Amino acid sequence: MLIPNHPDDERLSALASLDDDATTDAALASHVSTCVRCTETLTELGALRASLAELPDVAPSRPLRLLPPVADAPAAVGGGGWIRRLFAPAMTAGAALAIVGVIGTAGPAFQGMASSGGDSALEAAGGEDAASSFAQVLRSSAAEQEPATDGGAPAYGEESPESTDGQSRPLARESVGASIDQFAAGDDDDGERTALPAERSPWPMVLFTGVALMVGAALLRWILVPRAG
Amino acid sequence: MTDASERTSATRTPPLPDEAAVIARAAGGDRTAFAQLMEHYQSACYGLAWRLLSDADQAADATQDAFMHAYRAIGSYRGGIFRSWLLRITANASYDILRRQQRRPSSPLPDPEEGAPELPDPGAVNPVAEATKSELYRHLEVALRRLPADQRTAVVLCDVYGMDYNEVAAMTQSALGTVKSRIHRGRLRLRELMAEHRELFTG
Repeated sequence: MLIPNHPDDERLSALASLDDDATTDAALASHVSTCVRCTETLTELGALRASLAELPDVAPSRPLRLLPPVADAPAAVGGGGWIRRLFAPAMTAGAALAIVGVIGTAGPAFQGMASSGGDSALEAAGGEDAASSFAQVLRSSAAEQEPATDGGAPAYGEESPESTDGQSRPLARESVGASIDQFAAGDDDDGERTALPAERSPWPMVLFTGVALMVGAALLRWILVPRAG
Repeated sequence: MTDASERTSATRTPPLPDEAAVIARAAGGDRTAFAQLMEHYQSACYGLAWRLLSDADQAADATQDAFMHAYRAIGSYRGGIFRSWLLRITANASYDILRRQQRRPSSPLPDPEEGAPELPDPGAVNPVAEATKSELYRHLEVALRRLPADQRTAVVLCDVYGMDYNEVAAMTQSALGTVKSRIHRGRLRLRELMAEHRELFTG
């Protein structure tokens, strides 16, 4: 029996895929059950779907690379990710310390270059430090001997009871003191440069610590993190 | 709608016998296990890519991209049917290529009659019936290639690989109604194209 006012073919397609809105449509079901044309369409669409679902797999046209290069290999699940995450802050901290150390170490050198107007960085930084240290040693040894002037054995530069030369030793002491200051200050008369540093510069140690931290973290990571392949 | 994985065909790649163990090894970083999985499913992935893209070279590229993506993502694989998971990745990789291709429409459309790969022999239990099946598959492939790209994509994902409407909509970034309409129109167009080979359906 051929019934006019057929449903849209897309509705029949929806019915073929068992869509909810089509299967629950009573009017559609009623029409299809009595219409030869729509029943035929529905059957063909069903057969088409079944055949499409059976289409076979297809062999590739060329050999495919099944794996990425080793360099792209991801970390094994639970096997190295946490170790990497552990070492990342250590490496960063080491790098930060090293940078601070380099800046701290190089800073006085640049200052020295600027103030001496042509001296090399080593002379400005290292030379001055060495001179200051040497002067400090000399001064401290002199200071240790000074209390002896109150009594007891005569100190270096102090007039001894047996001495008949009343001027020679004080002069000697003055000349030594002056030479110490001169040595500490270099050739300049700049009073500031005679000031002795309270302690050694910490920057080389910071630099060393930073580099050591980085190298250590890299080494441990290389040992502990599993490698692909 | 049925899931693609539930509809197994004799001509589709079945799961590996010890698939769960191989997947676990691959997820743990075993490259050999991963290669074993990809080798096993490469025909399934390539078939999907080839049907979406209608070009052998692009299909191979898409499959390759899908393998690389799967390699990076296998650690996050959370069970389910592996074939479906891999096919979804392949469909996304293919659709990316398809989108780029549609933005540059200068390349000519391939001739649907040409470039179709040799489909595997479905089996030789009943040579006449299997020859008819092979003939049907060949005509279906040609008819699929004659569909507009949007209808072909929707029909291939839904009817050939059994993805549901929502999955297709998400993958193609289209509205649900649009996807349904593309599928139904594509299916009706296929029916027209297959009209002269109608007898093969009953063969």
